[in-house]
Amino acid sequence: MASVTEAPAVLPARPREAGWSRLPVWLRRVILVAALVGLWQAYVAWSEFGGNPLLFASPDDTARAFWEGWRDGSLASATWQTLRILLIGVGIGALIGALFTLFASLSQIGEDILLLLTAILNPLPGVAVLPLALLWFGLSTKAIVFAIANATIWPIAINLTTGFKTVNPTIVAAGRNIGLKGIRLVTDVLAPAALPSAISGLKTAWAFGWRTVVAAELVFGVVGGEGGLGSYINNAKLYLFTPQMFAALLSIAVLGIAFELVFGVLERRTIIRWGMQKS
Amino acid sequence: MTVSAAATTSTAVLPGNSVLRVDHVQLGYWTPDGFTLAVREATFSVAPREKTIVIGPSGCGKSTLLKAVAGFIRPTAGRIEVAGREKLEPGPDRAVVFQEFDQLFPWRTVLDNVAYPLRINGWKRREARERAREFVELTSLDQAADRYPYQLSGGMKQRVAIARALALDPAMLLMDEPFGSLDMLTRARLQQELNGIIERTQTTLLLVTHSMDEALTVGDKVVVLAGSPSTVIEIADVRDVGQPDSPRYAEARAHLRDLLGVFPDEEQLGVGD
Repeated sequence: MASVTEAPAVLPARPREAGWSRLPVWLRRVILVAALVGLWQAYVAWSEFGGNPLLFASPDDTARAFWEGWRDGSLASATWQTLRILLIGVGIGALIGALFTLFASLSQIGEDILLLLTAILNPLPGVAVLPLALLWFGLSTKAIVFAIANATIWPIAINLTTGFKTVNPTIVAAGRNIGLKGIRLVTDVLAPAALPSAISGLKTAWAFGWRTVVAAELVFGVVGGEGGLGSYINNAKLYLFTPQMFAALLSIAVLGIAFELVFGVLERRTIIRWGMQKS
Repeated sequence: MTVSAAATTSTAVLPGNSVLRVDHVQLGYWTPDGFTLAVREATFSVAPREKTIVIGPSGCGKSTLLKAVAGFIRPTAGRIEVAGREKLEPGPDRAVVFQEFDQLFPWRTVLDNVAYPLRINGWKRREARERAREFVELTSLDQAADRYPYQLSGGMKQRVAIARALALDPAMLLMDEPFGSLDMLTRARLQQELNGIIERTQTTLLLVTHSMDEALTVGDKVVVLAGSPSTVIEIADVRDVGQPDSPRYAEARAHLRDLLGVFPDEEQLGVGD
């Protein structure tokens, strides 16, 4: 409220930051990416290992393979295939995770079961259950979806449960006081109050799922007729198409960054805007 | 004390036209160590448009009493009646202003925090917004209407909570040490403002505090709780004590201090005050 309404005659010096921090954030990033590509190029030009095109791809070759792969659709369809399996797996995992949370919120035994299962299954790397999934579902996308779902259920359930348990009791009392009860209290007070935990659970689940799907595809090679990014990399290795391997890795990185951005927008529009989480 | 009503006993007669009747109420709560009796026996009533203050030292069960009136807990004996109704559930007819600043919904703006409770109580969107704006203005929050709670000071958050409660047009307004976490200056100002707002809305008030000055500047009637488990040791009319600089105010304050057994230096520290 106590803001300055009249500017003083002589303004005090604006606090200055050091040279690098004064640059806008996009420029800082562009410079860093350029430097990274420069190092890469230098390695290709001056090192024996880097200069062998069968072992190592130059930025130039990678960019060309990336462009070709997206233009002829081979890289695009592989990416889409991986993304599709990932979405299905994370979707199923999130749904089951939410059901587990409901179960755990309603009863003590539910909570105990969830804690036990999480303690046992959460530390397992996503691909570790793959051989079993293979045995049960055969060489199919179902097996990969199963592995992804297993990798995502636990982080989501444990984050949601913690989120609901740590909702500020005063806010719940305020909600009941204005006349909310039952499901309305859950949707209008508990759910938004637990949103920071829900988002962080989803982020972890997404990261776990992403690692699992690519690793699973690598292990299987071609699965279910259409290959994803993992099998794309594997095939490229078989034929020593090194630039294509680099291009597929680049696709994975770009997608990872894209999802960071999506989650960033989601957070800025909700929990950061509401002061429930620092930016 | 101006009118020092005889200390209540179990034979006290409650007047008929009360908004709130607390009749031989006993209260306690469960802790990991067992059941703790907080209030041994409390009997008092609140007349329409009366401002009643329940005062007592920390841990005397005054907040427990307010929670029982709000419907969050049930008495273990006795009856609590609001506008003739018993078996109380939490509800907007007894709107509560809590002590904690984070009683607002962080995901709603100031205006929405006031309008949303109206919406769920059957108000149409447009009318809820209009009424919310009215109460946001009444509590001098016009400039902050579109801000989110985390952007407000503690005093402003408590004003939003007051606006939210009063907009619901409750049968009575319940306040649980609403200014207890504020600095002294903000607290004094909000007490003055609360008087003005209650004057305008003609609301019946039940406020719980451990501050004698809050009791004397805001209250019409003071219910003194003491002991552990506590009982009502006095019910006093403090309507006419005047301003803090008047002799009657000083006299009433000294009397309250004796009742509560507070030492002057404790007051300075805010311990048990």
